Amino acid sequence: MSTIDHISYVQPKSGIGAARLTGAGLLVLLGGFATIGPVVIPVDPSAQDFGASLAPVGSDYLLGTDHYGRSLLARLAHGARLSFGMAFLTTLAAAMPGVLLGLLAAWRGGWAEKGLELMATVVLALPGLMLVLLLLAFSPGDYGPLFLGLALTLWVEFYRVTKATTKTVLSQPHIEAARMLGFGSRYILTRYVLPVIGPMIATLAAFAMATAIIAVSTLSAISVGLQPPTPELGSMIVELLPYFAEAPVQVLLPAGLIFLLVLGLQLLAQGERA
Amino acid sequence: MNIQVRNDLLVTDLSIHTADGPIVSDVSLSLGRGHPLTLLGESGSGKSLVAQAIMGNLPPGLHAIGRILFKGSDLLAEAPSERRSRWGRSISLLPQEPWLALDPTMRVLPQVAEIHRYVKGRDAAGSAAAAKENLLEVSLSSAEALYPFQISGGMGQRAAIAMAHAAGSELLIADEPTKGLDAMLRDQVTARLRREVENGRLLLTITHDVAVARALGGTIGIMLNGRLVESGPAETVLKAPKHLYTKALLSSEPSQWERQVPAASGEMVIAGRGLKKSYGSKTLFSGLDIEIASGEIVSIVGPSGCGKTTIGNILLGLNPPDAGLVERRADLSSLRFQKLYQDPPAAFAPHQTIRKGVRDLVRLHGETWARVEDLLARLRLPESLLDRRPGEISGGELQRFALLRALLLNPAFLFADEATSRLDPVSQKEVITFLQEIAAEAGLAILLVTHDRDIAETISTRVIDLGSSDEKAM
Amino acid sequence: MKNFFLSRLLQASIVAVVVGAVCFALMRALPGDAAMRIAAGRYGPDARIADAAEKVRLELGLDRPIAAQFLEWIGSLLRLDLGHSLVTGRAVAHELQVQLGASVWLAATALLISLLIGPLVGLISGLKPGGAADRSGLAGAVVFRAIPPFVLGLILMLIFSRQLGWLPPAGFGSPREILLPALTLALGLAAMSSRVTRNAVAAVARAPYFAFARYKGLPEAVVVRRHGLRNAAIPVVSYLGLQAIYLVEGVVVVESLFAYPGIGHALVHAIVERDVPMVQGTALVMGLMFVAINATIDLLTFWLDPRTRRTA
Repeated sequence: MSTIDHISYVQPKSGIGAARLTGAGLLVLLGGFATIGPVVIPVDPSAQDFGASLAPVGSDYLLGTDHYGRSLLARLAHGARLSFGMAFLTTLAAAMPGVLLGLLAAWRGGWAEKGLELMATVVLALPGLMLVLLLLAFSPGDYGPLFLGLALTLWVEFYRVTKATTKTVLSQPHIEAARMLGFGSRYILTRYVLPVIGPMIATLAAFAMATAIIAVSTLSAISVGLQPPTPELGSMIVELLPYFAEAPVQVLLPAGLIFLLVLGLQLLAQGERA
Repeated sequence: MNIQVRNDLLVTDLSIHTADGPIVSDVSLSLGRGHPLTLLGESGSGKSLVAQAIMGNLPPGLHAIGRILFKGSDLLAEAPSERRSRWGRSISLLPQEPWLALDPTMRVLPQVAEIHRYVKGRDAAGSAAAAKENLLEVSLSSAEALYPFQISGGMGQRAAIAMAHAAGSELLIADEPTKGLDAMLRDQVTARLRREVENGRLLLTITHDVAVARALGGTIGIMLNGRLVESGPAETVLKAPKHLYTKALLSSEPSQWERQVPAASGEMVIAGRGLKKSYGSKTLFSGLDIEIASGEIVSIVGPSGCGKTTIGNILLGLNPPDAGLVERRADLSSLRFQKLYQDPPAAFAPHQTIRKGVRDLVRLHGETWARVEDLLARLRLPESLLDRRPGEISGGELQRFALLRALLLNPAFLFADEATSRLDPVSQKEVITFLQEIAAEAGLAILLVTHDRDIAETISTRVIDLGSSDEKAM
Repeated sequence: MKNFFLSRLLQASIVAVVVGAVCFALMRALPGDAAMRIAAGRYGPDARIADAAEKVRLELGLDRPIAAQFLEWIGSLLRLDLGHSLVTGRAVAHELQVQLGASVWLAATALLISLLIGPLVGLISGLKPGGAADRSGLAGAVVFRAIPPFVLGLILMLIFSRQLGWLPPAGFGSPREILLPALTLALGLAAMSSRVTRNAVAAVARAPYFAFARYKGLPEAVVVRRHGLRNAAIPVVSYLGLQAIYLVEGVVVVESLFAYPGIGHALVHAIVERDVPMVQGTALVMGLMFVAINATIDLLTFWLDPRTRRTA
């Protein structure tokens, strides 16, 4: 009796968008901290003050200092900017070719699609982090291979989703109908395809940024990514770890910042379906 | 409504409530041995809810009041566990679209055998043997070792009947048993149900198809907006309907239509010569000739999967033929060859309002909005519908918008691909009538593809028959 | 079936070629004497290294086309001739044997723990979608997925070894040492699989065949056992394919973090030390491990879901 079964007579609970809203709010706050923070905080994140090594929170330094006496507030702001910036750039570098090639493959099919599929298969044969690691072997600690490796692994998801969704849309009767009614490819692309893939790309982009943030911090933490003294959140945690007994808050702050960044992105991307 | 004398199932003043109020009110009906009951109505009329109240599987949030007496005990007074213990024992359900109701990961035989094993408590070997017997009864022995995805719709329906046999319960509730089946399979299924009645089973059928109700006989109840508006013996209700809705419903049945065939004007608009198409090793048709002149309606009939839609698509240039060629009158732009689709919502972009789509079309071809307004009036479409999205409009209205869209381009040829098969009978008749009128007025050549022979025969100049049903994997 | 096998075989060869190509390029791109490095990698420290380097230099100097050199490189890779570590001088294959065992133990333990947690939480959540268990399961999954594995590992390390002193923070040799890294991986994996299980269970519970099994009169336990479990398991098992990525990546991270002497740890070490033969060997083995996990999942899906046998 499925005609009726599918209709729910129970009122849906309110607050469907609450998770998304929380995610967006978190990102606005953290984004503000990352963009405005480095400008308004007058302290150099690498300025050492051995007299104030491991100063507690609320002393002369608002969020305390690390073992070299560097201001944690300044380092966190620069770290957030770095994470956000890297994540944003890699996602952009992955999404642009991914979406365009996905559209191309879905639209043209044939050899273009076969070639792109092969490229995607090659990239997906190895877990993404392994590919990044292999590229990092060329020059550990550099931005270049890190950026390249992340973009190289992340574009595939954009490509695959764009291709699959566009193909589904293009195979529907309403596209055939639109063509018969005389509408051109441009109209079909902008009115029928983009409105469908747009929200999906946005969701994927949020996920890709979360992945990039985790990857960048993880790679620094296992000392193949960005190297100290760069104020990178992952390496800050590992650097401060030996001083955990004396200054636990200083270890937890960058960890918490990564957590909130990733959480914000995931909530924004998925909402209630997380 | 009056109550018959012999009744094994007696429903009195049944109402079904949501938190907001009743959605089914005061339904009383009965059925007995040899007298099946058929509830007829469109989706949303509440007929399925009545069946669910009897079965005891109303969706959460709904509750039934009134009395349902089955062999002397009031079902509504029973605890949920007692009601559930009747399932498969005294009441069986024949699900709609049984291919979805079968476990996709289990072969057919064990799905029948488990009834003997776990409901009747027989041993494994005995259950398997009994299940084989049940499948043999519905001539489905060949499907014992098949998975549900390997069998056809008609076979799925027979597997469900075999399960009802295995249960051996007295009351059988068939919920839209012919949904998704073409006319030929529909008749096979109703014949099978008829046999269940002759074998002494109590049968309650829910359907939107007057033909099913007619074939089953017994008592017919007509449901509309949660009420039983008319009921009585099948002959009486079908021959002398009292309620307005019943009358409309019956007169919209294609077999009752007045035959009205347009005369051929002689001027060919489109033709296919020696067309051939095969899929894999199966040849759908070959050496097929078809010619449609202006003002003519030509129909292609045949069971699903026979390739009738493919012919239309070949004429429109959407599919290439394997052999043969298509001729079109030379002076016509390709924009004047248009198509209506089987599933109206699929023919519109889901996120675009109708107004936006129509306005873009008007702009694209330099038409005026006044023409749209004329057509809206002509097709009896209220302007307020323009601001809705396709999902928020009924299928009949949406199909008329599809017609409007096509008519804006002054078509010379229109391919209506099962364009009314998903519409309720009243909307179906409306759309067909519009097509007939427009063909006559504008000299439009129409190719109608349908599985409904009655429609084809009452309205077309010529009917092309693509053969009888040969169900796959029989 | 044959198709699965072929596509996994293809994946394995792509892994070998990609890893080989990157390392081939790496060998030539790094600063210093490439010929010396190649000779050391090829013949190990026992050979008279200067002579060998001269031989290699001659080879390179002969100006053989780069394609031929590359083919030779890939050829020896496919023969599993992995060469010698530039750092320790020992045969790469020999080093890998020990490390692979350690990593497999870690991955298997992590997977096992995650399968004890994830599907159970998912099942409880999915039986009553929207209920208290479902919502706390969701919150837990969201939180655990937002914590990068290395942070999670550090937190566990701080709690269990520093604060409580229950488990050693690093090392290898006893089951106690495998527990923390395995738990780190398992929690991340379980956070993902719990939601997939939850959705699978909820979908089966809504499915018409599940309702129909009840209408047939089957007792609830039989309905769940015969029509629930297998159908709910299918998406969970195919999702393990995606989890394999997390698992392999996680092994690298967690091993480095806990100084666990597995293959991921060796890979990171080799990258830092620019030990190309070791990079190639470890990356190849990890890549093949990934392929093997995927192949196992294919087999499981194939066994669970008759629809995948359609073309067989």
